Amino acid sequence: MHITGLLLDAPQANTAANYLPIALQLLFALGFVATMMIVTHLLGPKRKTADKLATFTSGIETHGNARTPMAIKYFLVAILFVLFDVEVIFFYPYAVNFRALGWSGFYSVLMFVGFFIVGFFYIIKKGALVWED
Amino acid sequence: MIPVLLILIPIVAGLVSFFLKNEKAAKGWSVIASLVTLAVSLAGVYEQNAAALHADAAWLPTLGSRFTLHLDGMAKMLTLLTGISMPLVVVSTIKNDYRNAGNFYGLLLWLQAGLMGVFVSADCLLFYFFWELALIPAYFLCSGWGGEKRIPVTFKFFVYTFLGSLLMLVGILFLYFKTPDHSFAIASFYKLNLTPAEQSFGFWLFFIAFAIKMPVFPFHTWQPDTYEQSPTAVTMLLSGVMVKMGLYGVIRWILPVFPAAVVRFDHIVIILCVIGILYASLIAIKQDDIKRLVAYSSIAHIGLMCAAIFSSQQVGMQGVMVQMFNHGVNVIGLWIVVDAIEQNQGTRKFSELGGLAQKAPGLAILFVIMAFANIALPLTNAFVGEFMMFNGLFRYNGWMAGIAGISIILAAVYTLGMVQKIFYGNTVAATENAVDSDFSVKLMLAILVVVIVVLGVYPQPMLQLTNDTVHSVLTKIHSF
Amino acid sequence: MNAIILSAVLGVVMMFSSVFVKNKSALKHIAAAGLLVLLIANIADTYGCSLFKIDLHNMLRFDKFGLFFNTIGIGATLIYVVLSGRDIEKSGNYVAEYFALIFFVLCGLTLLTSFGNLLMLFIGIEILSIPLYILTGSDKRNLKSNEAAIKYFLMGSFSTGIMLMGIALIYGGTGSFQLEVVRSVFASYKGVSFLEIAGLLFLLVAMAFKVSAAPFHFWTPDVYDGAPSVFTSFMATVVKAAAFVAFIRLFDARVTETSAAVDWKMLFSILIISTLLIGNITAVFQQSVKRMLAYSSIAQAGFMLFALFSLNDMAKEGLLLYAAAYSLATIGIFAILIKMKDVSFEGYNGLAKTQPLLAATNTIFLLSLAGIPLTAGFFAKYYMLASVIKTGSYTWLVIFAVLFAAVSAYYYFRVIQAMYFKNGEAQTDTITPGFKAGMVIVAAIIVIVGILPQTILNWFYF
Repeated sequence: MHITGLLLDAPQANTAANYLPIALQLLFALGFVATMMIVTHLLGPKRKTADKLATFTSGIETHGNARTPMAIKYFLVAILFVLFDVEVIFFYPYAVNFRALGWSGFYSVLMFVGFFIVGFFYIIKKGALVWED
Repeated sequence: MIPVLLILIPIVAGLVSFFLKNEKAAKGWSVIASLVTLAVSLAGVYEQNAAALHADAAWLPTLGSRFTLHLDGMAKMLTLLTGISMPLVVVSTIKNDYRNAGNFYGLLLWLQAGLMGVFVSADCLLFYFFWELALIPAYFLCSGWGGEKRIPVTFKFFVYTFLGSLLMLVGILFLYFKTPDHSFAIASFYKLNLTPAEQSFGFWLFFIAFAIKMPVFPFHTWQPDTYEQSPTAVTMLLSGVMVKMGLYGVIRWILPVFPAAVVRFDHIVIILCVIGILYASLIAIKQDDIKRLVAYSSIAHIGLMCAAIFSSQQVGMQGVMVQMFNHGVNVIGLWIVVDAIEQNQGTRKFSELGGLAQKAPGLAILFVIMAFANIALPLTNAFVGEFMMFNGLFRYNGWMAGIAGISIILAAVYTLGMVQKIFYGNTVAATENAVDSDFSVKLMLAILVVVIVVLGVYPQPMLQLTNDTVHSVLTKIHSF
Repeated sequence: MNAIILSAVLGVVMMFSSVFVKNKSALKHIAAAGLLVLLIANIADTYGCSLFKIDLHNMLRFDKFGLFFNTIGIGATLIYVVLSGRDIEKSGNYVAEYFALIFFVLCGLTLLTSFGNLLMLFIGIEILSIPLYILTGSDKRNLKSNEAAIKYFLMGSFSTGIMLMGIALIYGGTGSFQLEVVRSVFASYKGVSFLEIAGLLFLLVAMAFKVSAAPFHFWTPDVYDGAPSVFTSFMATVVKAAAFVAFIRLFDARVTETSAAVDWKMLFSILIISTLLIGNITAVFQQSVKRMLAYSSIAQAGFMLFALFSLNDMAKEGLLLYAAAYSLATIGIFAILIKMKDVSFEGYNGLAKTQPLLAATNTIFLLSLAGIPLTAGFFAKYYMLASVIKTGSYTWLVIFAVLFAAVSAYYYFRVIQAMYFKNGEAQTDTITPGFKAGMVIVAAIIVIVGILPQTILNWFYF
């Protein structure tokens, strides 16, 4: 078969044709998702009542508007948390290659940490973590 | 050295004038400056030493442009015209009241510097610079001190000429890259060996710029409005000298650089010119505003000059040279009278004027002589020029000359009609209490009359002065 | 290298000065001093005195062109801060941070002028853009400013996404992010590789977005109009010019001339025509000078695109000259615009009577933008037109551009007409003598460059 041949040859050559497996997989994935959605939509029973369409909140009746303004502090803390959390991700590869990278690696990480400490200092000084006004 | 002075004196004088807050001081200063410039331009005419007529300095070495100025016969004649007109303009309008006089005269002097620069530059980029430098002060003068509708009208004038000059810039760049030594020098441009297609392309890019400036039909629509709305002092410079920039450009740049294209397209241009001559003359007859009449009459005269240039005949070309000077002198004279009438009577409408000769006989006599010169009667300077131009045009094509010749009759109709409506008949409300015009106006007109008659009787010096240019241009054309 | 590191460090310094410097008006002096240091350090770098020796693995490649441009960009920013520093102070509560963000933008600019790797291009564009999103929205209480910021952010990140896609495709085709490798692959390829061409097209779209070339210009008027005027001034000048330098670094002649599958000249001429057309025609109909300037910046981008069209030596010199001339004039016009009480055309009526000096300098700036001789703008346009004519074809494109240059005179002269020939009492904020002196100096630079462009051009040849 032609297609099978292409699939088998794929690792050897580097042309547009050997993206065929990826394309096939993409097609399959899309097709699978689409089929599943359509099938469930068609097969499932539909009973629409007011209670069913209401937003489910732990059995408690909903009240108020979801778009009420929240204190900016929540967002600030969340963002800062993400920022410093990402830092840890960068530490991991360094920790794994600690020995291999030697002193130059150590200096690089030191610089990296230094920047973060400067940033942290800035945050503290600007009062981003002060909870009470 | 002389060409540098011709540009430098007005620029510096203009700069000084901007700081003169006193109206009298500004007027006096500009009279002095323009007289000094006139003296320098006269010196240029009589200077025999070639080194003094030439200036050359490094300007933009990487672009291949040098600050090269040169005075040949045609340039001498036109700088003399510019030199003469400036004191005439300033003195004859000295009684007029211009607010911010320092700025007004400063811009006027800069305009003069731009005009001088156009006539003396022997480097194409430099020529372009001065071409624009003449435009910007003119725009500000017209818009700042002009009539009621000045803002849209002068902007039309500006955009027209700006577009033309941008097209010329494209043409200049096009030629620049064709020159073997990548230079803007006039000599390199003259040595170009262009194919017919390239010549046609460049010809139209340049010609549109010059045609707008002259103006040639159908690019003339800015001109009557602008002349009408501008302050008269500026109109004098615009019509007396600035339109000569277009004619000068054709003779200096188009004829020698694109000879093949000139031979190929001369009939188109001449037909346009002849249409313009008749069209402008006919419209002039129907005008009610003196300024508009003179404006249309100017279009007709310029059209004839342009046609004579493109007829490529020696006698026609010489006629153009003479007429460029004469037209400048005559039209400034007409404007001086128009301004005197407007200042005294407060109107420029024929329907509101009449019988002025009874009240202002001096002005009337001088004006009638001006009018004769405008019709080109013998013994006036314009006769010599027009005769030679028609002669040249006739040698090129008898029919064209014949049709254009109708304009002589039409010129008589509108000019004499103007004289009649303003000066003869019964006095009306506006002229009831008129007095004769000021001594300064009459003095200027008297000087002009002397020039008109002298050049009408003895045009030889003017012909000799420009002989070298005519000769060199025509050899270039006739080699095709 | 000096400029990249110093601009980042100075940005951090500015951030901390908000903590330690309590006197708000001292901040602009600190920023100006920092910019001066940056300028000197960059000029030193240009003449071979580098403070940092780092092995860059060709991620960044420093050449004279990029370093000259750094000088122009940093110099223009210095002039901008000197002229408009007082207005930056007034634009919000976080003055030090605004200055810090400006330094970070400069850091992005210096990366863009020297990238040697497509990833560096991406990082440079991001470092350049993100501070701008913040600056656009810095007028927090103003809905238009918020709208502009979110619009700019969404569209900007979308275009960055397209750029990443393009980079990824090019990587797929050539197997490298290195600019040199990519160029040599493009120059040597015999057959047409779909991946690379598609990648380059994506990059073209993304860069056209950044320089606001039509039809990718839709964000520009809203963002420039909505952002506080002080920051519009910065965005429309230094930032746009930086994007152009990155553009011309990326679309090197070796990349476009040899990949015959796409007629790049035709593509660029379509971009140029649509940019000139849309920019100029829409600018004519504006009632607000600020919005007119936004469209005029699109129109000017059309002229700068000529450099990318012709890609010869004149184009590169011309782009530097254009960037300098355009930035200086626009910064000057904006500096005056910020002082105006009413930024519509009517608001300028009679400015020549109330503030003759400002009107005169503004006229010089406008004439320069219109490309009138004796101003720097003329030589900028001259170089662009000449670079195209030098290629020997597409002369019709030049004639087209010239027609639109005449159209552009219309809206620039409307301001001049309002200032000089119309009656009115133009209201301005108080004008300090220092500000006037600054304007005169900028105008003088423009005129001097216009008469003797050799003063700048001499840098390019030595």
